[in-house]
Amino acid sequence: MATQIVMDHTGDTRHIFDAMDENALSEAEGRFKELTLVGYTAALRTAPGKAELMRTFDPTAEETLFFPRLIGG
Amino acid sequence: MFEQTFPLRRLLSQRARSEHPLRARFHEYWYGTAREARGLKLLREWLSPEQLAQFEKKGYFDVTGCDSGKRYRILHGTAMNIHEIDHAGQVLAGWCFVPSINLVAGDVMLAQKIALETNERRALAVAKNFSPKGSGLNMFVPL
Repeated sequence: MATQIVMDHTGDTRHIFDAMDENALSEAEGRFKELTLVGYTAALRTAPGKAELMRTFDPTAEETLFFPRLIGG
Repeated sequence: MFEQTFPLRRLLSQRARSEHPLRARFHEYWYGTAREARGLKLLREWLSPEQLAQFEKKGYFDVTGCDSGKRYRILHGTAMNIHEIDHAGQVLAGWCFVPSINLVAGDVMLAQKIALETNERRALAVAKNFSPKGSGLNMFVPL
C-alpha cells in the first residue's frame, strides 16, 4: 500500500491506496496534480531522514508528503 | 414568561448556557492537543535517527543546506525558529519562512527541514532574515 500525506489544519490527512489498483492510482495522480498546481510541494521519503522533491507523479512512490507553499514569516 | 412558568425548564436552560463555553473550550483544547500530537508524530517519522535523538533531548534538530552546506538549527516553534549556526554551534543569523497556511509546529518544522535539505536556495529566497540574539524567542519548549 502507498500513502500520500497532506499537511492541513488537522495536522495531516493520509490517503492510503493500492498502487496496483488502476483507479486508486489514477485518483492518487489526480491528487498529486491538484495539490502541486495550487503550490504544494511534494516530497518523497527515500531513506530514514532523507527526502527528495517530486516534480512529477511517481506511481512507484510509497510515501509522498505534501506541504503548502512557503512564504517569509 | 415561559421560563417563569416552568422553573425546571429555566434551570435547564441556564445550565445549558453556562456549560456551553466550557464544552467549547474543552473541545478546543482536546482538538488542539490532538493536532499538535499528530504533527509531532509526523515530524518524528521523517527525521533521521540523529535528528530525532537531538530533538528528543534538546528540543531542536540540525539540518544541512543542500546548496551551501551551511548548518541550520530548527527549534520547536512555528515562526522565527531557524538559526544558521557555525561548526561550534554558535548562532550566525536567524531565518524565517513558514507554510502559507496555519499549521501545527511539527508540520512547520518538517516543511522547513525538507525545504532546507532539498531546495535551500529557494527557501532562503522567500525567507526573512532576523537577528536571533537577545530576541527572547526560540527558547526550549518541553515536548
